Amino acid sequence: MGLSKIRQIEAHDDSELSFPPEGDAKPYEVFIQLNRGQPHVHSGTVDAVDGKMALSYAKKHFGRDQECVHMWVVPREAMISTNYDGEIIWPLTDQGYRLVRGYAIDVRRKWERFRDQEELDRYQDDDIKEMF
Amino acid sequence: MSAGVTTAVELKMDWEIQEDPQRTADFQARIDAKGLIEVDDWMPHNYRVGMLRMCEHHANSEIVGALPEGEWITRAPSLLRKLALIAKVQDEVGHGQMLYHVCQDLGKPRDQMLRDLCTGKTKYHNVFNYPAPTWADVAMIQWLVDGAAILNQKSLAEGSYGPYVRTMKRINMEEAFHFKSGEDMVLTLMSGTPRQKKMAQEAFDRWWAPCLMFFGPPDSDSTKTGPFMTWRIKTKTNDTLRQTYVDRFAPAAKALGLIIHVAHKDKDGMVAIKPDGNPDMVVDEQIQFDEESGHWGFTQPDWDEFFRVIKGNGPCNKQRVALRRFSHEQGHWVRQAVMGSAGLPPSAN
Ligand SMILES: [Fe+2]
Ligand SMILES: [Fe+2]
Repeated sequence: MGLSKIRQIEAHDDSELSFPPEGDAKPYEVFIQLNRGQPHVHSGTVDAVDGKMALSYAKKHFGRDQECVHMWVVPREAMISTNYDGEIIWPLTDQGYRLVRGYAIDVRRKWERFRDQEELDRYQDDDIKEMF
Repeated sequence: MSAGVTTAVELKMDWEIQEDPQRTADFQARIDAKGLIEVDDWMPHNYRVGMLRMCEHHANSEIVGALPEGEWITRAPSLLRKLALIAKVQDEVGHGQMLYHVCQDLGKPRDQMLRDLCTGKTKYHNVFNYPAPTWADVAMIQWLVDGAAILNQKSLAEGSYGPYVRTMKRINMEEAFHFKSGEDMVLTLMSGTPRQKKMAQEAFDRWWAPCLMFFGPPDSDSTKTGPFMTWRIKTKTNDTLRQTYVDRFAPAAKALGLIIHVAHKDKDGMVAIKPDGNPDMVVDEQIQFDEESGHWGFTQPDWDEFFRVIKGNGPCNKQRVALRRFSHEQGHWVRQAVMGSAGLPPSAN
């Protein structure tokens, strides 16, 4: 049979294929960092046989559409995660006692008995603003 | 020590080392441009050692600092205060965990750090060698000591070592709660009965001087300041931080009705009592706002006392290290069980 004919043979069942199933490469999650000192942010997944290959794919794939300075690839099997369903991470009880917001209004009101507004504003200027 | 346990090569400052001039120049250029150094970056040996030392001292301070306050948990005056104090102590131990991690990446195993703390080979912050005999001390610690820590850590968060800087930012978020709850406790006491006010004043007299010492010896006596500032391991000098602290806290204390004294301490860290039965202290007349400089004056703390306490002869040094050692020993079987070295399978959780 000529090559042009061979190229036209259709297969309708797995058993007709002349090669066995090969399995997939392993997924690697990719994290990129846009500037030094900033957090690495998840940007996608590549399939690769090892970390070196994953990194090289990741560089081509995710490192080109934006300037980035650093990259991590992590085999997905090494990542351990919570479940969206049924697993509670944030406590359901009020834990305001362990946050600034549990005190801020009360403390301000108490200070006002001792100091005038302007003095107090200046003093509270040095407070750390909680950003959780 | 059993086989298979890794001990790091002793990391020591060495000013004889000739570092690669090009790398050193590039390193300094990045620091001068306010850039960050990361764990895998090249860094001069003494930068690594200096950073490790400071971070280890900081980590030690977090977990030793939890001891005097932790002892008050069972005696907290209300459920809210108890919850807050438990949370605060838990935060501090967590700060220690994060900081030990930064140190591990710089080359010293955690196990060795915890052992060195128990044997007194490494130190923690001097301020935690003072006693906390009343509930008002807990309040003053959270307002004055956490307030000092925030000021210091804000300046350290402008430093050059990325992992430490990011840890500082995260820690400061939690310190903000400690400080607010400390203010709340001090304000409550100073709005209270004459007995509560008296208790607050007495605690204030115990903590004011140790807080001035918190920022370290005067710049003229501080050997570290030079290279540490150039490398931005530190970003502000001891004296600068101390002045900023006084500018913030002296007027606040005055407004609350607290009197700032220059007090003489006995060996237990309590204000000494004169033969006539009165406390051995005088009002600090230097506490005045100077229009010209724009700063508040203050009397320097007793620096001889500072060096005496740092050498291990403070009121609570032995007690604190012994309690840390006791806790570490008590935790031995737990660590063994978790790590699986007691012949048990490692924990599944
Ligand atoms: Fe802390
Ligand atoms: Fe704190």
